[in-house]
Amino acid sequence: MSDSETPAIRLERLSKTYREGERQHRVLADVDLEIPRGATIAIRGRSGSGKSTLLNLVGGIDIPDSGTVVVNGTNVTALDERRRTLFRREHLGFVYQAFNLIPTLTVADNVRLVLELNGVPESAASERIDSLLEAVGLGDRHASLPDVLSGGEQQRVAIARALAHRPSVVLADEPTGNLDDDAAESVLALLDRLVRQHGGTMLIATHSQRVAEFCDTTLFLSGGHIERAPGKT
Amino acid sequence: MRWLALALFLLAAPSANAAEEERSELAALLDADNEAFPRATEPRPFVFPDDHGPHPEYRNEWWYVTGNLEAASGRRFGFELTIFRFALAPGIEASPSAWRSNQVYIAHLAVTDPGDERFVVAEKYSRGALGLAGAQASPFAVWIDDWSIRARDPAGERERWQLLAETAEIGLDLELDAQKAPVLNGDDGLSQKSPEPGNASYYYSITRLATAGELRLGDETFRVTGTSWLDREWSSSALGQEQTGWDWFALQLGDGSELMFYNLRLRDGTSDANSAGTYVRPDGEAIHVRRDDVTLTVLDTWDSPEGGTYPARWRIAVPAAGIDVEVTPVMPDQELFTTVRYWEGAVDVSGTVSGRAADGVGYVELTGYAESPE
Amino acid sequence: MPVILKASLGFLWRHPWQLFLATLGVCIGVAVIVAVDLANASSRIAFLQSLESITGDATHQVVGGPAGIDESLYVDLRRNRGIDSIAPVVESDALIGERSFTLLGADLFAEQALRDYEFATAEADVDANGRSVFTAFLVTPGSVVMSEQTAADLGLDVGSGFELTVSGRRQAATLVGTFADGGTLAGYILADIATAQEWLDQPGRLTRIDVRLDEDEVAAFRAALPDDVRLLDAEGRTRSTLEMSDAFMVNLNAMSLLALLVGLFLIYNSASFSVLQRRPLLGILRALGVTRGQAFVLIIGEAAVLGLVAGALGVLLGIWLGERLLFFVTQSINDLYFRVAVTSVTISQFTLVKGLAAGFIASIVAAAVPAIEAAASPPRLAMARSALEKETGVAVPRIAVAGIAVLALAFLTLVLSETSLIAGLVAVFLLILGFAMTIPWIVLRLTRVLAPLARFAGGVPARLAVVDIGTSLSRTGVAIVALAVAVSATIGVSVMVDSFRGSVQAWLERTLSADIYFGLPGGGLDAGLVDAATALPGVSAYSTTRRALLPAADSSTRVIAIRMAPDGYAGIDILDADPDSVWPAWEAGNAVLVSEPYAYRNRVGPGDTLTLPTDRGPVDFDVLASFQSYDVNGSGVMMSRRTYDRLWDDSRVDSIGLYLADGASVAGVVADVEALGGRYEQDVFVSSNADIRDLSLSIFDRTFIVTNILYWLAVGVAIVGILGSMLALQLERGRELGLLRALGMTPGQLGGHIAFQTGTIGAISGIAAIPLGIAMAWVLIDVINRRAFGWQIAMDVTPGFVIAGLGLAIGSALVAGAYPAWRAARTQPALAMREE
Repeated sequence: MSDSETPAIRLERLSKTYREGERQHRVLADVDLEIPRGATIAIRGRSGSGKSTLLNLVGGIDIPDSGTVVVNGTNVTALDERRRTLFRREHLGFVYQAFNLIPTLTVADNVRLVLELNGVPESAASERIDSLLEAVGLGDRHASLPDVLSGGEQQRVAIARALAHRPSVVLADEPTGNLDDDAAESVLALLDRLVRQHGGTMLIATHSQRVAEFCDTTLFLSGGHIERAPGKT
Repeated sequence: MRWLALALFLLAAPSANAAEEERSELAALLDADNEAFPRATEPRPFVFPDDHGPHPEYRNEWWYVTGNLEAASGRRFGFELTIFRFALAPGIEASPSAWRSNQVYIAHLAVTDPGDERFVVAEKYSRGALGLAGAQASPFAVWIDDWSIRARDPAGERERWQLLAETAEIGLDLELDAQKAPVLNGDDGLSQKSPEPGNASYYYSITRLATAGELRLGDETFRVTGTSWLDREWSSSALGQEQTGWDWFALQLGDGSELMFYNLRLRDGTSDANSAGTYVRPDGEAIHVRRDDVTLTVLDTWDSPEGGTYPARWRIAVPAAGIDVEVTPVMPDQELFTTVRYWEGAVDVSGTVSGRAADGVGYVELTGYAESPE
Repeated sequence: MPVILKASLGFLWRHPWQLFLATLGVCIGVAVIVAVDLANASSRIAFLQSLESITGDATHQVVGGPAGIDESLYVDLRRNRGIDSIAPVVESDALIGERSFTLLGADLFAEQALRDYEFATAEADVDANGRSVFTAFLVTPGSVVMSEQTAADLGLDVGSGFELTVSGRRQAATLVGTFADGGTLAGYILADIATAQEWLDQPGRLTRIDVRLDEDEVAAFRAALPDDVRLLDAEGRTRSTLEMSDAFMVNLNAMSLLALLVGLFLIYNSASFSVLQRRPLLGILRALGVTRGQAFVLIIGEAAVLGLVAGALGVLLGIWLGERLLFFVTQSINDLYFRVAVTSVTISQFTLVKGLAAGFIASIVAAAVPAIEAAASPPRLAMARSALEKETGVAVPRIAVAGIAVLALAFLTLVLSETSLIAGLVAVFLLILGFAMTIPWIVLRLTRVLAPLARFAGGVPARLAVVDIGTSLSRTGVAIVALAVAVSATIGVSVMVDSFRGSVQAWLERTLSADIYFGLPGGGLDAGLVDAATALPGVSAYSTTRRALLPAADSSTRVIAIRMAPDGYAGIDILDADPDSVWPAWEAGNAVLVSEPYAYRNRVGPGDTLTLPTDRGPVDFDVLASFQSYDVNGSGVMMSRRTYDRLWDDSRVDSIGLYLADGASVAGVVADVEALGGRYEQDVFVSSNADIRDLSLSIFDRTFIVTNILYWLAVGVAIVGILGSMLALQLERGRELGLLRALGMTPGQLGGHIAFQTGTIGAISGIAAIPLGIAMAWVLIDVINRRAFGWQIAMDVTPGFVIAGLGLAIGSALVAGAYPAWRAARTQPALAMREE
């Protein structure tokens, strides 16, 4: 699966419709997409255009109505819930707009949670947490609870958590949406650096032009369809 | 002449329905057991004082004393003390319990006080057992609890009795001395009530008992004197189907004679042919009075506040005996609301016997004019 | 509908489970209160009503010794004293089949002055002999009248004959009429006084004379009575009869209060939950301009509606439940105290209003605290969870300190109140309340202790599960408290009942020293039968027992007259004197032993003197010592049969104990006694030592059926509460759970995680419940039972009950957590994270 010819993500005729009372809202309509390994892709679109849905489907935390999601050569949509989860925790990392740190766990434990789930031995985990937190600039905040951190700091913990198990694909949903400009800049830079550092693929859902500028390619999601937009490649 | 008592017994049962209904049901009821009770079918010898005692084999019996009294001040009173005896069944099984008895006693006590327009009534029930209530011939006594009529002089030739009755409101302690020998009513004491054989009673009266003693009304006690009347009757029969009630007159006339007459009323309002009476001359001689010997005219009526209209003044004429009198209640309301509702009261008599003034006193009983209390 | 209301209701509709559980919680809480109240009140009212119709206008009773009074007194009062507001009564127990009744022998003529029976049968109805009901009743031996309902229950028509057992003898009876009493006389069989005397074989004796006296007549009437009879106030007698069962009823009420307490926790839990969950919504509403007052009214109004609707449902459920409980309550009362036949639940408005008010007020009070808080909080879109939890974190220690103060108050109440039962109950509730207030703090502490352990054993997710319990106390606290209280009640009551049972069993083993017992429930063994049975081959010794109630104005004294067998003395456990010196004195003179409850209640002990009414007038007795007794009806004084015979004219014997010679067959002698019973035509009750012990224990167990039902209901209420809490907690954690799933927890792992959390909640509740349970057992045994019944029970904490309590707590929490776990595992993580 480390075949370099295999795309990191391949979507085939992917569809998803939400029901809102009587009306049906089709957010993805037969989307086909291939993302090569190591690419950093921005997905832009208006609010409600299906950016988050696309990320959720890729991440296997939501199920498409039809179509397939292939990540690193594995058809995620064909897996049962348990296998999909096991695949997800090995290969995928998530960064959310709302950080989604667990408030009752310390900074270190928030990161450790993912490592434990992946069965990383305690000693190796501690080492990796140390280096990760160092890398995100929070080497001295191991024992802090999330709610004493600033938004930017929280998001950095979230990035450390998302990358702790060295996923091959990182999914970030509006990672800077709750941050001020300075914090956004530093978080983006951090994310970009760390993902590229170990050759990961990253999909960022955003409505921000600034975020898109960090990415190799920008895709537009509109009316359930993907349009490749001109940008830096 | 108190058929009333039968219905009364029935209504003494714990809850009472309309009297009229009861009476007809009673008739049916009586038939069932009746064969076992002796009937009054033919005259019998009367022996005194034995016959003052009870005749428990007969279904019903009573000692009925009524009288008119006067205090030294001239204040008028009337009184009634009646003790009824009923046999619930012809016999009774032997039992270790003294309470097992077929004899039931009921007593009515009433005092009329026309001066105060007062009429006070009390009633008692008891079974004839354990000496709670009973009657005996020798020495004569009939009692229920502490109400009693008993001989003061058992050995004497004439009846000399004491009558005692106490309630919170009434106290009677009277001595009754017979002025005449008992008279046998009807056919030598056999008093036929309807044409059916056996529908009769044994009936005698002592029509004039000189009375003296004490009468208490509430807290007031009066020394009184006057005359009383005793009615004694026993039988095992009831009213006929067509008979609705009766009017009974016991008049003690100023000339020393007495007249008893009962008028049996039929459903159609007319008088039953079996209505009859007795005239007792001053010398004690008794003359049978048939219905047709008597002219009974109602002169006035009284509406009971509880409903029902009673006759309230009469003219009674017995031409054969020369009697022509008017009978007037001493007060209109002498109605008893005991388990059976009836009117029994003291009356004044004015008029003549054989043309001579013979004003007197008496007692009247009227039944079947109003529904009994529920 | 105003949008503000719509927004709020919309929330409830979208969380139907929440709504359902809140309703159910209030509903069950109210139902239990109503049910116990109805069952208790119904049996009490039924008893009072039947007694009232039996007492009629009687104000007093003339009573004599155990053998009753001579009927000549009655005749004398009527004939010579002119008193006619009196009625003779001959009373006895009677059996029709298995059902027991009170046979009332009365004189209908005398009854007229005192009582007014309503007959359903027209008196002119005629029987086969052509006799009216009235005539048959008086004239035909064996004629009886009973309640219409009783006749229907027994399948008897007017005119039917049946068998009735009086004094162990079967008698032929005929139903001649029925009462239209609406069931108040369902426990009575009315016969003519002659019939009653014939059946009882007691000619010449009356049980009592009922009297109607004006107040100013009492003294004169009393003065005129002979020495061997006494005039008692009828009301006082009713009161003293009822007092016998008071302790029992008080205990039941205590159980219902316990259920109420658990119910109140639950109501509070449900109401505060629904408010807490809408904090974000309320924040938005406040931000949009809803005033504090409006927010407050909105929440309170909602709680009021919930309280009313659920309360009304609870009242209905309570009536249904009350009818079910009634059977057990009356059975116990009949087993232990007095005859009462309850044909229907008497629904008192007071009870219904009380139930409704409990639901309504509790809902409002419960909602008030969160409503005030929510209304007072500054408007913002959502309040940080951690901030809320921090507030809770500050409140918890304060509440715990207050709880300790309440516990101190409970202790003080116990120490100061000495013998008051009510104060004892108050102390129990203070104990529960005080302890409950410390539970959140205990939970917080425990989670802090357990968290590292969990982390060590199960890693970060395990730690997360434990820590979340502590940090979400605002949601879980009340449910944990409710569960802990319910579980502690099961521990407390189980330990109490078990200790009690153990003491009773040990006492029975000691006291029942004879090999065979036989007797008649109401007494009156045939003297010939007694002579024949005690002379049977194989019988080496025997004892006789006679129990007699000596009615008195304030409270009646039960006398147990015993002719001891040589081996019988050792069976009596003398508590406070030297048995070797007690027994000779007891046999010799006017001396008695008092049962422990009697000694406690009447505060008498060795050296005291007791005056009892005897047939020779009042006599002083020396109290030699007290003895152990758990016999509800045996609470009284024990005297030698010789003493009894000297002072009372009553030769009756209730029961005989036969001691067998070595080698004699128990079964053989039992058969011989039964055969003798047949010969003397008495249905004697014969049983071996072991049988009578088993029977006693089964009656004991029956007595606690209601208690068991009630505490299981309390547990049920607590389970509903914990289910609601678990559901809400997991709903609340939805986002976090979704995140855990997104981060790679499998559905199975997540289910396990939730189960671990709920199991831990159960375990914490269970652990917190243990000390409270044992404390409660101690108070129930040493305070409540002692004060209610006067007996001392050896407390025995069987570990099994503690473990069972813990298991119950964990089990209930797991059951409650099952649905949320299943639901969370099934939900797509993306969806879970979208919620809220």
